[in-house]
Amino acid sequence: MNYPIWELYGLNSGTLVAVIAVLHAYIAHLAVGGGIFLWLTDLKSVKDNNNDLRNYVKKHTRFFLLLTMVFGGVSGVGIWFIIALANPAATSTLIHTFVFGWAIEWVFFVGEIAALLIYHYKFDLMSDKARLQVAFFYALFAWLSMVVINGILAFMLTPGDWLSSKSFWDGFVNPTFFSSLFFRTAASFLIAGLFGYVTAVFMKESEFRTGMIKYCTKWLLLPVPFIIVGAIWYYFTVPSSSRLTLFELNNQNNIIVLFFIITSVLILVMGPLYLLKMKSLPQKVMVFLFILIGLGWYGSFEYMREYARKPYIIHGYMYSTSIKESDVDMLNREGVLKHAKWSAVKEIDSNNHIEAGRELFNIECLACHTIGGVKNDILVNTEDLTYMGMISQLYGQGKVLDYMPQFVGTKQEMEALAAFIIEGLHKKELNTELGSYTPEPVNNDILPYDKENSEYVLFVWNDLGMHCISDSDPWFIFLPPANTLEAQLIKRGDRPQIISDGVEIRFMVESGYENSADHVKFWDYAENYFDVKLEKNVGLGGLGLNGVFKYNKVRNSFIAEMIPVTPYKDDGSYNPYPQFYVEAVDKKSGEVLVKTKAVAPVSTEMGCRNCHGGGWRVNGVSGVTDETATNILKAHDRISKTNLYQSALDGKPLLCQSCHADPAIGAKGIPQHNNLSAAVHGWHANYMYIEGGDACVMCHPASKKGNTRCNRGIHGVLGINCTSCHGTITDHASGLLNAQKETNSSTRLIKNLKTVFAQSPEAVSPRIPWIQEPDCLGCHENFAKPEEGSTGFNKWNSDFSELYRVRTDYAGVRCEACHNSTHSEYPARNDFGKNWDNSQPMQYANMPLPIGSDFSCEVCHKKKMEMAIHHPNMERDFRNIDIVNKME
Amino acid sequence: MDPNTFIPTPDPIPAPSWFFIILEQLLFLLHIIVINAVLGGALILLFKRIFKKEDAEIDRSVAFRLPTLIALGINFGVAPLLFIQVVFGNLFFTSSVLMAVYWILIIPLLIIAYYGLYINYNSLSPLFMHVSLVIASVIILYIGFMFVNNNSLMEQPEKWSAYLENRGGTILNISDPIFLPRYLHFIAASVAIGGLLYAIVLNVKQKKDKSVDQQKIINSLKIFAIATSIQVIIGFWFLLSVPSEFIMNFMGKDLFSTIVLLAGIAGGIGAIVFGFLGKLNAAVIHALLTLIAMVITRYNLRMMYLSDNFQLSSLTLEPQYIILVLFLIILVAGLGSVFYMLKISSVKAERRAAQ
Repeated sequence: MNYPIWELYGLNSGTLVAVIAVLHAYIAHLAVGGGIFLWLTDLKSVKDNNNDLRNYVKKHTRFFLLLTMVFGGVSGVGIWFIIALANPAATSTLIHTFVFGWAIEWVFFVGEIAALLIYHYKFDLMSDKARLQVAFFYALFAWLSMVVINGILAFMLTPGDWLSSKSFWDGFVNPTFFSSLFFRTAASFLIAGLFGYVTAVFMKESEFRTGMIKYCTKWLLLPVPFIIVGAIWYYFTVPSSSRLTLFELNNQNNIIVLFFIITSVLILVMGPLYLLKMKSLPQKVMVFLFILIGLGWYGSFEYMREYARKPYIIHGYMYSTSIKESDVDMLNREGVLKHAKWSAVKEIDSNNHIEAGRELFNIECLACHTIGGVKNDILVNTEDLTYMGMISQLYGQGKVLDYMPQFVGTKQEMEALAAFIIEGLHKKELNTELGSYTPEPVNNDILPYDKENSEYVLFVWNDLGMHCISDSDPWFIFLPPANTLEAQLIKRGDRPQIISDGVEIRFMVESGYENSADHVKFWDYAENYFDVKLEKNVGLGGLGLNGVFKYNKVRNSFIAEMIPVTPYKDDGSYNPYPQFYVEAVDKKSGEVLVKTKAVAPVSTEMGCRNCHGGGWRVNGVSGVTDETATNILKAHDRISKTNLYQSALDGKPLLCQSCHADPAIGAKGIPQHNNLSAAVHGWHANYMYIEGGDACVMCHPASKKGNTRCNRGIHGVLGINCTSCHGTITDHASGLLNAQKETNSSTRLIKNLKTVFAQSPEAVSPRIPWIQEPDCLGCHENFAKPEEGSTGFNKWNSDFSELYRVRTDYAGVRCEACHNSTHSEYPARNDFGKNWDNSQPMQYANMPLPIGSDFSCEVCHKKKMEMAIHHPNMERDFRNIDIVNKME
Repeated sequence: MDPNTFIPTPDPIPAPSWFFIILEQLLFLLHIIVINAVLGGALILLFKRIFKKEDAEIDRSVAFRLPTLIALGINFGVAPLLFIQVVFGNLFFTSSVLMAVYWILIIPLLIIAYYGLYINYNSLSPLFMHVSLVIASVIILYIGFMFVNNNSLMEQPEKWSAYLENRGGTILNISDPIFLPRYLHFIAASVAIGGLLYAIVLNVKQKKDKSVDQQKIINSLKIFAIATSIQVIIGFWFLLSVPSEFIMNFMGKDLFSTIVLLAGIAGGIGAIVFGFLGKLNAAVIHALLTLIAMVITRYNLRMMYLSDNFQLSSLTLEPQYIILVLFLIILVAGLGSVFYMLKISSVKAERRAAQ
C-alpha cells in the first residue's frame, strides 16, 4: 500500500527471507551457544590445566569466528535487508517501535565482535584470567544480543498488550518472550555441541579426541530435556488460534512439522552414535550430515514459528500483505487501489481491469505466492478454478482457513484480481453466465378420466420436488438415482375412502427412460458405495423402472421407493421430468380401476462446474464431468487432509455420507463431522459472493435459464425464490451449523458468516436437514393468504411428522396428494411441457389448480361440499387465477 | 508525475530527529573511514601486486588487518543504516525496493568478499590470494556503487516514477549527473585513506621496529596526497553536477553549508600539503577534519535534494525517552567493556602476564 512492491514473480521475496533467515538463525544460535561453549570449555582447560583442551578451544575459535562473525554477522544484516525489501511497511514498524532495542542490540554486536576478535587474535598472548574474561564477555554479549532479537521476533507472533498500548515494553516483554528465550537458549547449547564435533573429528586420532567427541555429545544431549520443556512452554504461550493455524488449518505445514519431528529424532539418535567406536572417516562424513540435519531441525522450527503467525506479519496488527488490520474496513469501503501509492491504476474501468488485477495481485498475493515460481505457485493453486470460482476463492479466503488474509477491497477490485489470474495468467475466459438451456416443450397428453362414473381417483406424486443425482459415479456420489413416488387411491363418493388393500398400484416409466444404466455408471459402483449387488436398472429399493408400489401404513399411502430413473433418454435427449404411468388394479379381478401420470423430477444439473471447472458431462447439457469431480476431490483432500482422489483412482470412490451424516439417506456419518448439508452449505456460504436467490442457483437446479428450472410450482410462478423460505445461503447455513455445534469445524464455518434475514448467525434456529424445513404454515397462517413480506425462514417444523411431504390434512389425505410435491405445487409451470406437472388436476378437474380448490370437491366427493374439513380456508376462489390464466 | 504521490507515509519517530541524525552521521563517519581504508588498502595492495611492487613485510601487515577492518566496517555501518531508517525510512525503504536485486546481492557478495580477504591473507597459494583479492576489491567497489545508487535514489523521489516501467528491482540512477562524480569521490577517498592506512601501519611498525624505512611512510602519504588532489578535482566536478540552486546554497546562499564545505576544502588542501610533506599526524588530522566536514556536507546536500518532498518537521514524535536513556547507558557500558577487554589484552597486559 505504502511502498513499491518488488515484482519477483518467480521467486517471491518471502522465499528469500526464508532462505536467509533460516541459515542466519542457525548460525546465530551457534554464536550464542558456541560462545558459552568456548567460555566454559576454556574454563575447564584452565581448571584442569589441560593444554590439549586449550588447543582445541583455540582451533575451534578460528572455525567459530569464520562461521559466526563472517557468515553469521553478514547474513544477520541480510535478514534486515531482505525483510525491508519483502515487507517495508512491517520493517518500518519494527524499526520505529524498537529502534532503541535494535540500537542496544547493535551495542551488544559491537561488544561481541570486539570480544571475539580479541579472543581469537590474542588467544596465546593473554593471561588465562584475561582470556576467560574476554570469553565470558563474548558469551554474555552474544546471549544478550539474542535476548533483544528474541523480544522483537516474539513480538511479531504475540504482540500482547502492545496492540492497545503501543508501549515498547508491552511489545518487547510479550507473552512468548520468556518461553521462546528459554527454548532458544537451550537449543543454542545443542547447536554448540553439534558444531563442536566439527573441530573434534578433524583432530588426530587420540584418546583426547575421543574424549572431546564425548564432551560434544554431552553438550548435544544435556540440553534436550530443557528444549522439550521450553518447547512445551512455548507451545502453550502461543495463542490457540495460532496453534490451530499452524497444526491443523494450513496443510502446507504438515511436511514441515513432520520434518521437525524426524530431525529431532535423528539428532537424538545420531548424538549417541558418536559414542560408538568408529573410524575417523565416517565420523567426518557424518558430521556434515549432522550439521545439515541440525539446519533442517532449526530451520523447521523457525518455519513453524513464522507460519503460526499467518496471516499476519505482526499478529493482530498488520497482515502479511502489509495491510493494517485497522485499515481493512476503510479499504473495503473505498478500495485498495485508491490508497495504494504505487499502483498505476487508481480506478478500474473495462479497459484496465487486468492491469488493475495485477496491481492487486502484487499488493495482496505476492507476499506469499509466486507466479510459476518456486513456492505457493498461484498458477497451480488456481488451475482448477473458473472465473466465478476465482472470485469465490477471493471472497471466502481467510474466513474459514484463516492462515490467509481475507481479501481487502471492493467487489470490483475482487473481480479485477480474479480477472488478472484467470484471463491474465491462465488465459481462460471470464464467464459469469451459468449454463443455459432452452427446453423444447413436449406435448403433454392428459389421460382420459370419466368424472361422472369413475369410482376411483388416484393421486401420485414424487416425495420431493426434485431429486438430484450426482452422476460423478467413478469419483464420488452423494445422491444415487432414487426417485420415490407415493400414491393415494381414493374411492369417490359422499364420504370418500382412502384405499389401502385389495388393489395393486403399478408404475411404468414413459418410453425412452427404461435404460438408466446406459447413461450413468452408478451400477458399476453401486456395490462399492452401498455394499449391495444391483442388477442394471434396478434401484436401491429393489425396484426397476416398472414395478409395483407397496402400501405403507404410517404414511397412509402406497410407496415406490428409490426408482432409478435418470434425466437422460435413450435417444440422447435430456428431460429432467420423466413421467410415470401409474395405474390402480383390482387384485381380484385384474380390472384397471384408474390410471394417471406423475412426474418423477430428476436432475443432474449440479452447478459445481461453475466454480470448480469442467463442462457438462452429457452432450454439453448436464451432468458432472470427471474434471469437475476430480477438482472437487482434490480441493477436499487439500483442505480436509483426506485421500479421496487417490481412493477413487484406486477404484474405491467414497460416498460423501460415509463421513458426513445425512438424514436424507439415513447415513450416520462419523462423529465430529458436520452432516452433509451443514458441511456443504457451511463451507460454501463463506465463499459465495453472489447474493440472494442467485446464489442458490449457482449450485442447485433452479436457474430460470438452466436445464431443470426446478422451482416451477406456484411459488416460483409468483416470483418467490429459494430465499423467501430458506433464507440466503448464510442464513440457511447458519441454521444448519447451529444444529452442529458439537463438531470440530462448525464454529470456524459460522464465525465469519453475515446473515441477511437473521440479525446474526446465532439468531437462526438450529435445523436438522431434511427433517426440519420451512413450515408452510409459517407464511400461510391458518392456511390463509400470507401477509405481505412474510417469510417461512426460521420457522422450521419441529419434527419429521410435521414435514409437508409426510403430512396429511384432517381427513388423512396427504398434503402432496392435492398440492403436489414441494417446488412443483399446483398450479405448476414447467417449461418442458404445458401442464407437465399438472397432469392429475387437469385429468380429474380439467384445471391445473390444487385438487379440491376452487370448489372442485367433486373430484373425490362427486359433488360440491358445504364444509371444508380438509383444512381451513379452502372454500374460496383460487387467489392467483389471473396469473394462472397467463401461464403457458 | 508529482513525486509526493509516491512518498510513503512515515511512521512516528521515538526521539527527536536530530538525535538520530547526529548518531547516524557520527557512526557513518566511522564506517566510511574504515570502509575507505579496506577498499583503499585492498586496491593499493592489488596495484602493487599487479605492478610487482610488493613489499612483503608491510603488505602482509595490511592484508592481515583487512578482515578485521571489514568486520569493524560492517559493524559501524549497521548503526547508521538503522538510524537512517528511523528518520528517512520511508524514503530509504522505497529506494531499496526500486533496486532490490542489486541491493540484496550485496549480502552474498559481501560474504564472499569477507572470506576473500581472509583467503588473501591466509591462503598458501599465491593464485588463490590474488584471485580472492581481486574478487574482494571488485565486490567492495560494487557495494559502494550500490550504496551511492541507493542514496541518490532515496534523495530524489522525482526519479521514482521509473518504477511504473520497471518493477523488477533493477533501477539504477546512473544517468543522474551527480552519480559518477559521487561514486568516484568515494573511490578516490578510499585510495587516499588506503594510503593513510599504509602510512599508519608502517608507523606502528616503526615504533616497534626502528628499521622500518621512513621513506615508505612518505611514499604512502604521497599516495594519500595524490589521491586527495584528484579528489579535489572530482569534488568540484561533483559540486558542479548538482542542481544550480544547490550550488548557490554552497556558494554563500546557505551560510552553514558554505562554511562547512569551505572548511572541508581547506582541510583537504591542508591534508594534501601535509601528505606531500610526509607529515603523518598532521595529514591524519586534516583528513579527519575534511571527512567530518564532508559527511556534514553530504547531509546538507541530502536535505537540499529532499527540500521539496520531505520535511523533518513533518515527522510525528512518539517519544520513548526511558528506552533512549537505557540505550545510552548500555552504550556506555558496552564501550566500557570493549575498552576493558582491549586493556586486559593490550601489550602492557601481555607483558605483565609474561612477567
